[in-house]
Amino acid sequence: MTSVIHTHHLNLSYGSKQALFDVDFPFEEKKVTALIGPSGCGKSTLLRCFNRMNDLIPSCKITGEILFRGENILNADPVELRKQIGMVFQRPNPFPKSIYDNIAYGPRAHGERDAGKLDAIVEKSLKGAALWDEVKDRLHDSALGLSGGQQQRLCIARTLAVSPEIILMDEPCSALDPIATSKIETLITELKKNYTVIIVTHNMQQAARVSDTTGFMYLGKLVEVDDTKKIFSNPSEELTERYVTGRFG
Amino acid sequence: MTEPTHTAAHTRLLREKIIKSIWLLTALISAAAVVFILGYLIYTALPAFMEVGIPGFLFNTEWNPTGSDPSYGVAALIVDTLLVTIGALIFAVPLGIASAVYLSYLAPSRIRDTVKPIIELLAGIPSVVYGFFGMVVLCSFLRTTLDIPSGFSWLAASIILGIMALPTIVSVSEDALFAVPKDYKEASLGLGTTYWHTISRVLLPAAASGISAAVVLGMGRAIGETMAVMMVAGNAAIIPDPIWNVLSPVRTLTATLGIEMAEVATGSMHYYALFGVAVILLIIALLVNIASSWIIKRTQTPRSSDSRLSAQSRKWLKYILAAVLCVLFFCFLVAALGVFLAVIVAVLLAVWYFGRAKISSSLAERCSFGVIYLCTGVVILTLAIILWDIFSNGIPAISWEFLTASPSDLGRSGGIYPAIIGTLQLVGGAILVALPIGIGAAIYLIEYSRENLLTRALRTGNDLLNGTPSIVFGLFGFAFFVIYLNWGICMLAGQICLALMILPTIVRTTEEALKSVPNSLREASLGLGATKWQTIKKVVLPSAAPGILTGAILSIGRAAGETAPIMFTAVVFTKRFVTMDVFDPVMALPFHLYVLSTSVPGATAQQYGTAVVLIVLVMLIYLAAILLRRHFQQKLLR
Repeated sequence: MTSVIHTHHLNLSYGSKQALFDVDFPFEEKKVTALIGPSGCGKSTLLRCFNRMNDLIPSCKITGEILFRGENILNADPVELRKQIGMVFQRPNPFPKSIYDNIAYGPRAHGERDAGKLDAIVEKSLKGAALWDEVKDRLHDSALGLSGGQQQRLCIARTLAVSPEIILMDEPCSALDPIATSKIETLITELKKNYTVIIVTHNMQQAARVSDTTGFMYLGKLVEVDDTKKIFSNPSEELTERYVTGRFG
Repeated sequence: MTEPTHTAAHTRLLREKIIKSIWLLTALISAAAVVFILGYLIYTALPAFMEVGIPGFLFNTEWNPTGSDPSYGVAALIVDTLLVTIGALIFAVPLGIASAVYLSYLAPSRIRDTVKPIIELLAGIPSVVYGFFGMVVLCSFLRTTLDIPSGFSWLAASIILGIMALPTIVSVSEDALFAVPKDYKEASLGLGTTYWHTISRVLLPAAASGISAAVVLGMGRAIGETMAVMMVAGNAAIIPDPIWNVLSPVRTLTATLGIEMAEVATGSMHYYALFGVAVILLIIALLVNIASSWIIKRTQTPRSSDSRLSAQSRKWLKYILAAVLCVLFFCFLVAALGVFLAVIVAVLLAVWYFGRAKISSSLAERCSFGVIYLCTGVVILTLAIILWDIFSNGIPAISWEFLTASPSDLGRSGGIYPAIIGTLQLVGGAILVALPIGIGAAIYLIEYSRENLLTRALRTGNDLLNGTPSIVFGLFGFAFFVIYLNWGICMLAGQICLALMILPTIVRTTEEALKSVPNSLREASLGLGATKWQTIKKVVLPSAAPGILTGAILSIGRAAGETAPIMFTAVVFTKRFVTMDVFDPVMALPFHLYVLSTSVPGATAQQYGTAVVLIVLVMLIYLAAILLRRHFQQKLLR
């Protein structure tokens, strides 16, 4: 088994408050890994380390290393890194531009000017995010006119358009209704054919449904990481068992 | 048992009704003021339009109302006004937006928190102070460096107006940029774009409507300005020849009013023609208003596919506009730097523009940030130079005698005590008139009325007067109070003129403050059985108080610094005593500074000293506004 991202002794603090303690966590290629745990356990913080989104918070300090294909992410150029490791956020955040311009934004930023190629990328990405059939007739309408679920799939398509290797998802369904959620979940299981997906979720059923591996975090520490089936049926740690059976959290 | 509660209910109902009628009355008064001012101006201008004819008035370039064969064509004045405004915006818009980008996205939060209030304070510096600086420093600088006979020119007027508009543009654009959802930034950075790409392609476009509003506000300020322009523009009513000759003297519409109002014979054709000029200023204010509401409406509704039909033509429009701006900008460069340097700058800009697709994104980012730092530096340096010049020359001139004695020898010696007191009297009177009426009208508009003809008319008229140049209020006051009512030049006329000028602002800011109180609070109070007035008094007004007070104090600051509305209605240049009679004329600081700097040679120390006192007075008022707002906000949080 190859791990595409591996954290070693990862410690992170915001000012004087430490948010991650000594996290060692391997992530497998072309698999879906779910991060679960109660609010404030550091799962989103961990996720945001992988594409250096924590750089935006001035007080944030990180020690340890995160190896991505053997290179330490913490020393990489964040702009180059984020092309390879894309992110989908908790709330759908399309730009106030047309659907087409939203998808083409990334490729254009990376120097693609050819209109034909851009058209192809937009179509492929929207198909990849299972949104093409719903929007193909109104590509030049504002993306803000889409429903919440469509907006989130648009954000996934926008990420796909940059052709990353890894897609990070930070509670991508928490702002969506059940039908939109199930569409995104189906999409996630499709995505793992081509991409490595790391998803943070509050919803344990969701983790059980979509992921191959699950990591349980508590108070900034990684308690346990294992096959999703094992985590939910027969975890090694008692803390994990109490959490997945709903006795705390 | 039921009897007493019955009467109690009656008295309560009666009280509510009386209170409602009071607010209705204030709303009607302010509506009547709006209608009366507009009507009076247009009515008085009619003879000029009849005599000269509207085409003759608008399209004749010859303005010579005092010649033996008088001619009343305002075309040159309109062209000059536009040229001066465009020139100011060419300076102020790029510098202002760049500084706003720096403050919102690049500056550490500590710097942002200190620089932002300072820039907002600078927006309050009275225009006569900028005009004074323009006269004594900028114009002589232009004259010596460019080796021309006189520095009083289009260029000088545009630079001064640009500097005046800068704080407004920076501050309003910064608010707009800061309000862009943080989500956009994360989304764009998450796609592996540079910070500069994120700013230029996502954040700036997302803030476009707010930034356009900032530009329109700055433009309104530039068009409506009288004193500063009058003091530096040279005031020749000609169209520059050739049209891009930035060193030509020009004369704007507002300056024409400021110069000629004092000398005109009441009831002459010249007099009516001046009202015609005022009507044109009103129309320009109306157009600016329409433009700004159109911008806001356009950016609020998401673009549908129809509007993309004209994408091609819009593209061309954009190119043409860009070309025009480039040519104008180049002319300014030539004038400001000389041909040689201007070509170098233009080539550098062109290389940057056409080369930016070729260079790597991180290099582009570094270059762009460099330009932004440079622009911000220029803005801060310019404002610092002005403050330094005025304070370093003015503070030595201030003494106990200067603050407490009356002027003598045409202001060359003695002090400015009557001017300080006069300014306070004018402002105090204005606020006593405007505050109750303004707040009352806003309460009626927001709390008691639904959208109907009265409210819509009042809002439209209000917005129009809000954008009307202050000199127009001076013209109205001069014609109506001083001449028609035969009060003569007196304190009361000035107080009412200032009150009329700040009334629209007070109504507007109070409305905004009341609107920002969430409806759930009103519902909670009404749901407990409180009456409407109790709800307003106990719940709505306390939460709206910081906004209302801030608006009121900012208006006080504006009234204290204004010269144009009082120049022909209330003030005289020297006066030995402080008067308490509202039918006596008074001295005032801004007017004193104006006359000292334009008509009294050899009073340099007194000029600077008066400027410092005026700035300090206005700054104190603004500072009080900021502190009070903070105090109230903290009280609400506790």
